Amino acid sequence: MPSLSAIKVGRRIANAAVWLALATMPYWMKAVGGYTELGTEVVVLGLTAMALNFLLGFTGVLSFGHAAYFGLGAYGVGMTIRYLVPSTPLGILVGVAVGTTATAVIGALIIRLRGVYFAMVTIAFAQVFYFVAFRWNSVTGGDDGLIGWARQPLDLGFAQVDILHDGRAFYYLVLLLFAVSAGLMALLLRSPFGGTLLAIRENERRARFLGIPVEFHMWLSFVISGLFASLGGTLYALLNNFVDPHVLHWNMSGNLVIMAVLGGMRSFWGPLIGAAIFVVLQDYVSSLTENWMSFLGLFFVLVVLFFPRGVLGAARGVARFPAKS
Amino acid sequence: MTIAELSRKKVSRRAVLKAAATVGALQLVPPFIIKARGEGMVKIGLDNPLTGTYAALGKNELVGCRHALAEINAKGGILGRKAELRVEDSTSGDAGTAVQKAHKLIDRDRVNFLLGNVNSALAQAMAQVANEKNVLMIDPGGHTDPITGTDCHWNVFRVCNTTQMEANAVAGVLVKDYGKKWYYITPDYAFGHTLQAGMEKAAAKLGGVKVGGDLTPLGTADFSAFLIKAQAANPDVIIFLTAGEDAVNSLKQAVQFGLNKKFHIAGAQQELEVLEGLPPEARIGTWVFEWYWKQPKVAHVAQFDAAIRKITGKVPTARTWFGYAATWTCALAAERAKSLDAVKLAKALQGFKLPPAVSLMPDGAFYRASQNQLIPDLYVGNAREKGEPGEPEDLFEVTRVVKGPDVAGTLEDTGCKMTWPA
Repeated sequence: MPSLSAIKVGRRIANAAVWLALATMPYWMKAVGGYTELGTEVVVLGLTAMALNFLLGFTGVLSFGHAAYFGLGAYGVGMTIRYLVPSTPLGILVGVAVGTTATAVIGALIIRLRGVYFAMVTIAFAQVFYFVAFRWNSVTGGDDGLIGWARQPLDLGFAQVDILHDGRAFYYLVLLLFAVSAGLMALLLRSPFGGTLLAIRENERRARFLGIPVEFHMWLSFVISGLFASLGGTLYALLNNFVDPHVLHWNMSGNLVIMAVLGGMRSFWGPLIGAAIFVVLQDYVSSLTENWMSFLGLFFVLVVLFFPRGVLGAARGVARFPAKS
Repeated sequence: MTIAELSRKKVSRRAVLKAAATVGALQLVPPFIIKARGEGMVKIGLDNPLTGTYAALGKNELVGCRHALAEINAKGGILGRKAELRVEDSTSGDAGTAVQKAHKLIDRDRVNFLLGNVNSALAQAMAQVANEKNVLMIDPGGHTDPITGTDCHWNVFRVCNTTQMEANAVAGVLVKDYGKKWYYITPDYAFGHTLQAGMEKAAAKLGGVKVGGDLTPLGTADFSAFLIKAQAANPDVIIFLTAGEDAVNSLKQAVQFGLNKKFHIAGAQQELEVLEGLPPEARIGTWVFEWYWKQPKVAHVAQFDAAIRKITGKVPTARTWFGYAATWTCALAAERAKSLDAVKLAKALQGFKLPPAVSLMPDGAFYRASQNQLIPDLYVGNAREKGEPGEPEDLFEVTRVVKGPDVAGTLEDTGCKMTWPA
């Protein structure tokens, strides 16, 4: 086995590689047959999947309803720009506030449930929001979606950034918010609080015997996860300049879970890799065949069967235990 | 025994499976060198459902697009350059995917025209993208009114009718032929509400009155309670605005209750694909079709019908025609504008009348200026259980052809206020 310091160096290199790849994305995307918005979508969904994984992978709680907070963020920003103030930053703030508040309230109601019961109730709450958006035509636009708004230029005081027509500028805005969020999540996970979450994940009963307020920690983790998921939702809405009830549907929740599991839910970057694979595979295969969903499903089944720790988990396994020839 | 030792022992079943999976996955890996993009081609991007609820409709539109493309290329292409169709699956309901595909077509493939979408919501989302990027977009078959109404854009054109035009067309015939007292069975979501509001508005102008109505939850299996209420209200016409599985159930049960013997059954928009999917006994009522393949007196329709049958083995539907007309519009706009610049193309289409070989209608069809909406003929008639012998797909009997300008309302009615780029 490689020594601990070697692992540390390896991890540093991996981190640097991820950031370098993300920072230069718009410049190499075209060369490999992509386009800037595809990169933006990867980062946005990656952020959301990482937010979900904060709860799933690092606290051991499966939420199957994160579309609710993602979607509330999306509707929050859309409706703010459409009805209140045409300002992108304010819209993001409102979206995140709405999504986080919903997580805090719902979390407090359901945090005593465990396992599949917890997952089912999260789906149920998400579907409540879905049907509200679907039916409340006069406000949300119902099934037709919320239109008549677009992301507004950023006013920095000394300059204006047109994030509407300049896809690259918007990508870097998304990347900036992603970096801040990822940094915050990493900091939280390294803190004693993060250690406590891991302890709860590994053995809830033991954690309880140690005097850890388990429910409170789970709730806090749920709220933090919801906060970043709703930030992801606001960015997704801004990327599309459009929101429809689909973002609240359980399909969306399912896709987020798939991304987290696909990439590897025990690793910090896993969900980002999962989102990248999911989005790029969908984008690429769906241009080749209309049966692209079968391929995506097959890929997921294969990963779950043979690499239960996800793509990144498997890669790390190979690095740590290299087969001797 | 360490893992390394284990793996040395023999080629395990898992290793074989892994290898097989890897080889399988490699088939999907993009070739490292990008294929030549064919800069000389004029590219038309179609971002439309090929999977999900609207797959059948989307695929028929695709057939129409491909057929038009073949004709265009046979006649020398667009502005002397060969035309090419790029097709992307937008899914039937995911706006995120539709928008992503629109970006892909515009940013990566550099299409000159964007077409789509069957789903109105996705069409609206795509229109936002097309407007941001200044690309001419044609919506072949997404019906919701705002696309060429309150949310119209200078660069977004539409081939299919608005729901209001369809309601106006069918309402006129119903009031004239069957009576003024109507009862509504409406699915309880945005599309249903819009449709009912449109029908009520159209009826009110002609003296029609609503004697009652029910909002039925999506996915209702048992309509008996609603049908009994409808019967008790004693209307002249029962209007069914249900779609999909709900339409099958509600119409079947209406027949079982014998309502079609006592009252007239009608609705707004109907499509051949839907009628074919209905059980024969539920193929009843008066509807509006947006195009029909059996128009013996109209020139070019027979050729079009024959050509499509040769490709698919089935008759063309309104969807096939939408795709066909939308694709031809691209070529015709370019010919007229002598350019592929979006603003010039959009200007060239203001008030543009489609040639008879493309419009395939007795009175032709034109894009109304300052609204970008195609104003075609509409076909009101009755659904029938089965077609003539030898024509199993003749499931609709056109009783009246309604002229588009009579039902399109005024420009002010549509709410479209168009702003052009400076």
